[in-house]
Amino acid sequence: MTAFIIRRLLLSIPTLFGVLVVAFLLLYVAPGDPVMAMVGERADEATIARLRAELRLDDPLPVQFGHYIAGIAKGDLGKSYITNRPIRKDILERFPKTLQLAGAAMLLATVLGVTLGVLSARHPGGLMDRFGLAVAYLGISFPVYWVGLLLILLFAVTLHWLPPSGFGGIRYLALPALALGMRSIAFLARMTRSAMLDALGADYVRTARAKGLSEFLVVGRHALRNAMIPIITVLGLDFGAYLTGSILTETIFSWPGLGRYVVNAIARRDLPAIQGSVLFLSAVFVLVNLITDIAYAKADPRVSYN
Amino acid sequence: MRRWTALLLAVLAIACGGGADGATRRTIIDSRDNYDPRSLDPALSTDVPTGRAVGYLFDGLTRFTPEASVEPALATRWDVSPGGDIYTFHLRRGVHFSDGTPFVARQVALSWQRVLDPKVKGGRGWPLYPIKGAKEFADGKSSRIDGLAVPDDSTIVVTLKEPFAIFPKLLAMPVASIAPDRIPANFGEAPVGTGPWKLVEWKHDDYLLFAPNRKYWGTVPRADSLKARIIAEPSTAVAEFESGNVDVLQIPQGDIQSWQEDTERKKLLHSTPSLELVYVAINTTRGPLRDVRVRQALNMAIDRRILVRNLIAGRGDLASGVIPPSLPGGVKTRIGYQFDTLQAKKLLREAGYPNGIDVDLWTSTNPIYVRIAETLQGYFQLSGIRAKIVQRESAAAREAARKGQADLFVKDWYADYPDAENFLYPLLHSANKGVGGNVSYFQNAQFDSLVTSARREQDETKRVALYTQADQLAFEQAPMVFLYFYNELNAVQPWIKGFVPPVIFNGQPWTTVTKTTVGK
Repeated sequence: MTAFIIRRLLLSIPTLFGVLVVAFLLLYVAPGDPVMAMVGERADEATIARLRAELRLDDPLPVQFGHYIAGIAKGDLGKSYITNRPIRKDILERFPKTLQLAGAAMLLATVLGVTLGVLSARHPGGLMDRFGLAVAYLGISFPVYWVGLLLILLFAVTLHWLPPSGFGGIRYLALPALALGMRSIAFLARMTRSAMLDALGADYVRTARAKGLSEFLVVGRHALRNAMIPIITVLGLDFGAYLTGSILTETIFSWPGLGRYVVNAIARRDLPAIQGSVLFLSAVFVLVNLITDIAYAKADPRVSYN
Repeated sequence: MRRWTALLLAVLAIACGGGADGATRRTIIDSRDNYDPRSLDPALSTDVPTGRAVGYLFDGLTRFTPEASVEPALATRWDVSPGGDIYTFHLRRGVHFSDGTPFVARQVALSWQRVLDPKVKGGRGWPLYPIKGAKEFADGKSSRIDGLAVPDDSTIVVTLKEPFAIFPKLLAMPVASIAPDRIPANFGEAPVGTGPWKLVEWKHDDYLLFAPNRKYWGTVPRADSLKARIIAEPSTAVAEFESGNVDVLQIPQGDIQSWQEDTERKKLLHSTPSLELVYVAINTTRGPLRDVRVRQALNMAIDRRILVRNLIAGRGDLASGVIPPSLPGGVKTRIGYQFDTLQAKKLLREAGYPNGIDVDLWTSTNPIYVRIAETLQGYFQLSGIRAKIVQRESAAAREAARKGQADLFVKDWYADYPDAENFLYPLLHSANKGVGGNVSYFQNAQFDSLVTSARREQDETKRVALYTQADQLAFEQAPMVFLYFYNELNAVQPWIKGFVPPVIFNGQPWTTVTKTTVGK
């Protein structure tokens, strides 16, 4: 197992390098000049030329890239063109908040989604199953910004139960986590349902029942454990996606996370901030995928990496 | 499942436990910033949220009142030489920075030098370029600014390149604020100024919290504290206002009608004649658009009255020139271009385009501009003008227009200081083509000469007359489709007293604003 983890970590280095190259090139192909964003609405050519020189934007692309890679190798993500703040500090300040939101969304998704899926699978076609289907349809079809605004309207403006937006304790976390987790709840519920239906029809479940095990043990231990693999896959992918900054959710709920940081950086063409965030988020994604793979082995003894 | 639902509701009920009531909260909360300030260093102040916060923490030699007149701040008065090119500012004595350092004239020179220093990477030196030698210093051709002299601690003598009568107005811009001698590396995060407020904390993308500067030389803020929340989504800001969590709300342009028609919400509204011109820049160097008749035809092809009524619920004064009617030089009586498709077609025919013309109509993704572009496209068609809408994210759209690649570009212009010059010069003077703000690439010797003379003119009456002449000429030459001046709408909670939405964004220091608390 250790050898597997080390191999995977080493393999992630070329992946991340590739990500950097692509991100770097894309930014130079895309229209929009960082200096234009710095000078505001009114400027003069001399100022623009001076800033370009100061930021080394006129160097040939390979030179700029080499310069950037050299900084990364030293662990330096550079400074923002716009704010002059170190990118590393900016990311470290915002990532825990994104992590908190993603974690809460995943927790909600796991608890509600898996429960709903298991309950739906126990009596296919029953009332619970139809309810689960309705939830899944709504969760998958409604875009997150719409769900977000509806949640704010209902729980904040009309009922006054929760604050509409902002960062703070669990009161502030509840609505954005629900909005963000909605799609996963729906997806996991359907996923769990079909995996459970397969498992519940399998011979080992009949054996377990024949042994006289309680229904709770049959469903919880024997069937669910076998249904876990696709569920873990979905959880891993969604968690990775959420960690990379849930842009819409963070914007609607004024959540000061990494998603908004990246959007602001893109709007202002803040190249070092965009590149630094892309690198960091890719590393997170690679890591989450690795953890997912390890979780497979834990969930299913048949999976082995040695 | 029923057990689960019950549990979830119980958890929610505990977690919620009664929301914060707007009436009992003591901090005043503003919701108008929609992105995080760039920095709190005045030298980096190029956008609205930054400028607003810098205005709370720092002072310039002059400042704007909420109604946008200019009054003395760190300078108590100034003398102008008979030639109009030497300003002697007499500075306020006994002023201290929030760290206790006394304010002296030297800091004025140092602060302005920093703004112009290429190493600071501020990017906005132009308000100080009228100073003799400032541009040379900024371009690295000189190691000092010739036009700045500090004869003693309470006087600074500023020599300008040429007479420029409205110079004191430019000094009220956030970028010209005065900072102390020593600027540590983290100054943008831990600013030290002489302003009415001190920074308590700045949670990026979340809020800025300010406390009154008890040693302020002017009116010490009467409120306990001031919080500027950063809310990116306009609908969220509305929800926060309706929940009583914020005290001031800028009404999103798409929501105006619903606020004006609701009798309860209507009572909270404050209208401000804002200095914002919404227009379509016509690139006067491209194809048929070089012909003034074609440009006039574009102006006649649209019904602005309907556009303003339907898109922004009538909250715009129709433009017939670039000077807002609320500023000296603006003419309320000039009759703008009237909607007349026959006349528009006739002009196109005369210009040699009997079959109409094809143009690209650029817009950013800002919903209101997209709607304007779509409306214009429909109108243009009636006169045989086939417009193709090119929609780009705002940085990309602006860059194309600045490089002269857009035929027509829907945009706005928001004044930095309340003077007609701030519209005429950047938008249409040939010295500012492209990045300077003149994306019409308009070049007219007579117009240039009128504006240049106005900038030099000391006598206000004569200056205003020159502005009016220049504006009339711009109107006739039609380097843009004149749309409207937007009248901004803000909602203010009933428990807030003394808040006047400012005409210029940094014109409201909140010093006399109070919040009545109920039940405490």
